[in-house]
Amino acid sequence: MDPNTLALFQTLAQGLLTGGIYALIGTGLSLIFGVMRVINFAHGDFLAVGMFIALFLFQRFHLDPYLSLLIAAPLGFGLGYLVQRFLLARLGDRLESSSLLATLGLGLILSNGLLLGFGAQPQSINVAYATQTFKLGGVQISLPLLVAGLGTLLAIGLLNLFLYRTELGRAVRATAQNPLGAELQGVNTTWVQAVVFGLGVAFAVVAGVLLLPLLYAFPTVGENYTLKAFVVTVLGGLGNLPGAIVGGLILGIIESLGAYYLSNNYRDAYGLVVFLAVLLLRPEGLFGRTVKRV
Amino acid sequence: MTAAAVTSRPRALTYGNVWLSAVLLGVMALYPFVFGKSLNFGVSTLLLAGFAMSWNILGGWAGQLSLGHAALLGIGAYTVTLFAIPERAPAWLGLAGPVAPWWGALIGMALAALLALVWGRLTFGLRGSYFTLSSIAVALIIRLVVINEDFGGGAEGLFMPDLPKLFGLDLFDRHVEYGLAFTFVALTLLVTHLLRRSRLGYALQAVREDEDGARALGIDPTRMKLAAFVLSAVLTALGGSIYAIYLQAFEPHTLLELPLSVQIALMAIIGGRSSIQGPILGALLLAVFGEVFRNVFANANLLIYGVLILAVTLFAPDGLSGLFKRRGSKLGTNR
Repeated sequence: MDPNTLALFQTLAQGLLTGGIYALIGTGLSLIFGVMRVINFAHGDFLAVGMFIALFLFQRFHLDPYLSLLIAAPLGFGLGYLVQRFLLARLGDRLESSSLLATLGLGLILSNGLLLGFGAQPQSINVAYATQTFKLGGVQISLPLLVAGLGTLLAIGLLNLFLYRTELGRAVRATAQNPLGAELQGVNTTWVQAVVFGLGVAFAVVAGVLLLPLLYAFPTVGENYTLKAFVVTVLGGLGNLPGAIVGGLILGIIESLGAYYLSNNYRDAYGLVVFLAVLLLRPEGLFGRTVKRV
Repeated sequence: MTAAAVTSRPRALTYGNVWLSAVLLGVMALYPFVFGKSLNFGVSTLLLAGFAMSWNILGGWAGQLSLGHAALLGIGAYTVTLFAIPERAPAWLGLAGPVAPWWGALIGMALAALLALVWGRLTFGLRGSYFTLSSIAVALIIRLVVINEDFGGGAEGLFMPDLPKLFGLDLFDRHVEYGLAFTFVALTLLVTHLLRRSRLGYALQAVREDEDGARALGIDPTRMKLAAFVLSAVLTALGGSIYAIYLQAFEPHTLLELPLSVQIALMAIIGGRSSIQGPILGALLLAVFGEVFRNVFANANLLIYGVLILAVTLFAPDGLSGLFKRRGSKLGTNR
């Protein structure tokens, strides 16, 4: 292969794998929006919480970050469950209008809490595989990035099994379609919403753990990811889960291509420009069948 | 709206609770004579109060929750500084020498108005959280441009050069800066009181409460929101240029970041979006809290904002001034 084509493939592979993580983050956000019509402004901060859980477990107990998923994911679920149960559920009728401010405040509490607990200094973990790469037909692929991509596939696969093969999953879908109707059929929608918020947060936390070997952890790292999660979900259509996956991959590829061919300094801007364009031209998302509810 | 509200006598047209504003202004005017030693706190608090008031024209009156106001503030600050540095804007534009800050501030305000027009035209078609999302995105793009391009001093920021005297007053004197900040807050108050009795003010309230209903009455919601945005942007840019003179040196990481936008918005919301003086009260409260907890939380001071905004959304949706509904003058009936 000539160097130019190789560079293109390299960039695409990088973008696709990064996009996988974006898809994971976006899926959580989209799931929450789809069921509760809540845009979770604390989503990226939950991701930061995941990073710091893994960081803490590694520094204190030398627990491998991938193993710490077993602790971090349930913790994330519990955290999300409690937030919905004791905070968002209390907003009642005002949920749609107030959830933005409530989750924004929650995010500030989380990120500043991390700042108090861990300091502002960016930290990273020192594991052997953090910088390991392998070659696939000439294309260099970072091992932790590949693991993150595979982790995303696994998580989304499990979510699909849950939504379409279990009784609770059916209840979740019913609540998303029509909360009142679901309630009339005997679904405890308050509980279902707490489970959904827990799942969404768990997804963000898992994404944070998977990102830890790749990135520096610092308390405000989530800010950027909240925005990326929005970009992903708006690209795919809010509340549209398969859309969020494709949206994530698209964002990853756009960022990679832009960073390589245009300028790396504007890496975070390319996605935003596309985001604005989609908001203006197709607010229902690229594959919009979803109804515009706002 | 209930039937009783419809049949009750129409409210008299008033400018709102002018007395409360007069008292607030009086307190602000006396502050430097009593606390002459802590003028820094006074200037920054006044500026934040003015930003919160300006934000509220868009966020409270038009109901468009912007989390991108730091960009507008930054335009004011950067324009005034860039035009005051002879090697920068004046040289590129072929001007003979540096531009005085008062003219620079006017240029900054015009640029902010222009940006608000374009930005608003692009995003006001979107309702609800979409505008908030796009406001974060627009502000972030502006920040990236300022950091990466050479014209704005990059990530290192800018230093304010020596400035000419205004009516013989040294602009770097804290007392003069206090006066400027005071004028800024007084101006935002004046504009808000005038807005309360203007056609635009009533139209904005109508749009905020029921956009489709307002449209049916012949109000063009997008135009009204645009007007509010331009007004808000111009005032914010004016405050930004005073802020730049006060800071003397600033970098994009302090001036253009999301936390500043969030701070401005939350001050107004915590204080009370639906009252005229609410944003000032919010800014005052948060500034005092920030000072009290400075040593406890250090740079995690946004924690207080988080806790307060949660408390407000849960227990006082109209903000703190909403708790004194009788006393505080309301912008209008709130559903």
